[in-house]
Amino acid sequence: MFITDIRKEFYDVVVNQRVALLVSSDIDALCACKILQALFHCDQVQYTLVPVTGWQDLGTAFLEHKEQFRCFVLINCGANVDLLETLQPEEDSIFFICDTHRPVDVVNVYNDTQVKLMIKQDDDLGVPSYDDIFRDEEEEGGDDSGNESDGGSEPSGKRRRYDEGEVERRIERQRATREWEARRREILFDYEQYEYHGTSAAMVIFELAWVLTKDTKDMLWWAIIGLTDQWVHDKITHMKYVTDIATLQRHVSRHNHRNEDEDNSLSIDCMRISFEYDLRLALYQHWSLFESICNSSYTSCNFKLWSMHGQKKLQEFLADMGLPLKQVKQKFNSMDMSVKENLREVIEESSNKYGMKDIRIQTFGVHFGFKNHFLASDVVHATASLLESTEKDDSPGDNFIKALDCLSRSNLERLHGGIDLAKKKLMAIQQTVASCICTNLILSQGPFLYCYLLEGTPDVKLFSKPMALTLLCKYLLKAFVRSTRNKRCKLLPLIIAAPMDVEKRTVIVLGIPPESETSDKKNFFGRAFEKAAESTSSRTLHDHFDTSIIELKMEDRTKFLDALITLLS
Amino acid sequence: PTLCLYSVTTTNEAKSEGKSELIPTIKFRHCCLLRNQRCIAAYLYVSFFQRQETNWTEDGRVMLEWFNQYKKSLATFMRSLGGEEGLDITQDMKPPKSLYIEVRCLKDHGEFEIDDGTIILLKKNSQHFLPRWKCEQLIRQGVLEHIMS
Repeated sequence: MFITDIRKEFYDVVVNQRVALLVSSDIDALCACKILQALFHCDQVQYTLVPVTGWQDLGTAFLEHKEQFRCFVLINCGANVDLLETLQPEEDSIFFICDTHRPVDVVNVYNDTQVKLMIKQDDDLGVPSYDDIFRDEEEEGGDDSGNESDGGSEPSGKRRRYDEGEVERRIERQRATREWEARRREILFDYEQYEYHGTSAAMVIFELAWVLTKDTKDMLWWAIIGLTDQWVHDKITHMKYVTDIATLQRHVSRHNHRNEDEDNSLSIDCMRISFEYDLRLALYQHWSLFESICNSSYTSCNFKLWSMHGQKKLQEFLADMGLPLKQVKQKFNSMDMSVKENLREVIEESSNKYGMKDIRIQTFGVHFGFKNHFLASDVVHATASLLESTEKDDSPGDNFIKALDCLSRSNLERLHGGIDLAKKKLMAIQQTVASCICTNLILSQGPFLYCYLLEGTPDVKLFSKPMALTLLCKYLLKAFVRSTRNKRCKLLPLIIAAPMDVEKRTVIVLGIPPESETSDKKNFFGRAFEKAAESTSSRTLHDHFDTSIIELKMEDRTKFLDALITLLS
Repeated sequence: PTLCLYSVTTTNEAKSEGKSELIPTIKFRHCCLLRNQRCIAAYLYVSFFQRQETNWTEDGRVMLEWFNQYKKSLATFMRSLGGEEGLDITQDMKPPKSLYIEVRCLKDHGEFEIDDGTIILLKKNSQHFLPRWKCEQLIRQGVLEHIMS
């Protein structure tokens, strides 16, 4: 069931209990987790935090903790699958789910006792009504009891009359049931066909903090990072992003006004969040402007930087702005003040000339101390790189901890480490995109485009992780749409496969919807993968919470793809 | 000891006969006493740790015996404080800031029982928010790490 009053129905319930927090491995979940932890510290709610990377992890974690905990809080996992069926809990276990995955499974919606969804109902859910998908047992049993009552001891004459009437009614009932079931299948198919994402979990938990009047700037910053993660990884539409930014902007103003009232302004060490209409250049303030332009998908795809022509255009662009190459290639912080002063406006003006109308994006930045200034997207990239780090000796648990740590302001070295890793990742993505486009590795299979990263590809280990592979896939599709002349291909979705586990000989397969300005980001590959795997009995593992990401045995790749082609044609 | 005796007699004199001129003397002797106390404490502290380093390897038996005696007298002392249950002075080596602390599990430790009977599973990389006094032991053993955010 949906929770309407998050304070009464969730917080007041858990505040006197011990809680098990099961948190998915994505940035939004980490941010939501940080906010919730801060609230729990305030009220001394004892909890245990367990990171989970997929359904198997979730199941294991639940089994291990079900004896000790009655309340489970699931963050960014659990909404899109029949949870009670999967976990088979005792009757007194309660699950509070704060998950961005949609569509929410209908059983989760209509369970009144054990599943509580911390999801706003106006979030464009489109849940089918109860009567369309559930039927009371009595009506269905009516068919059977009709048969049984025929064996009653009634005079034969009467019985015959009853029989005829009875038979007619039974046939009618059966027909109605079949019709109802057919409509039900159709409704459920429509409802569950497309996967998409709802409001950021961090924002939902921040709202809880706000309702409790326990919200702090740190929590607001985490909410901002959670939303920005959804934007960086292309999980929500532009409209939704802008709407949510406006919501957060109100909170930022509220927090900032608190400080302006005092006679003494805040110490420089205090945290200040500011609204920024900043450049869409990844990590540019922690890198050189040139490198940032080369490795950000927006600029790279618009200039087509994988070609010589594109490189020349970039040089022209820089010259047009009057930015000397020497300046642009050095660390951003070392650039001349005169150059940095109106940089954003200058770049925006020139970008308009080169066809990049949206080089600036609404976002937020944070200042604390003299040196420390970060944009929300910087933190998202850094945390994502730490979370999916492929350095040796890093287990997923270790990475989770490191990523969680880097969100705290006291762990700046960790954050800077993350930024360095993020730079490497962005460069790897850029190079892979360039080589894929130049060697025509993206092939049209009919209903979709397909790209397979061979084992020997440089940095291919980075792409065995879902978030990094998603970023690569999105950049690749954008770049392909820009570089191809085939009009039909521009409207196709893209499936990418990369080696996942060399020993187990599996690949990770991911599908994204077609690229368009007005894309609603709804992804149908989840169901498509399931059906294709079933029909070919391919050995797949649908472990990830995003159903459009699966693991597949290398040998089954070809038949799986063929099944997909047939299915989607 | 003699200094102490002098101090006491002088204090009594000062109190009973109102000889306020003696007060500086009292104060001075008090300072001396305190200083002696500090010196003795420092000496014991240093000698204990020096001996711990040198004698531990050479004559372990002696140190072990001493340590057992120390443990016994510490236990008796602790029991004598704080009413019936005694007071565990080995807890809270530094002044505690909060009742509950956040800890991270550094290695698999299995099940751990806390005061109200509930059991926590300490698995590597899990984080918990628990009462401070239950965690101190495990923090010292290196199983848990205190997280300060």
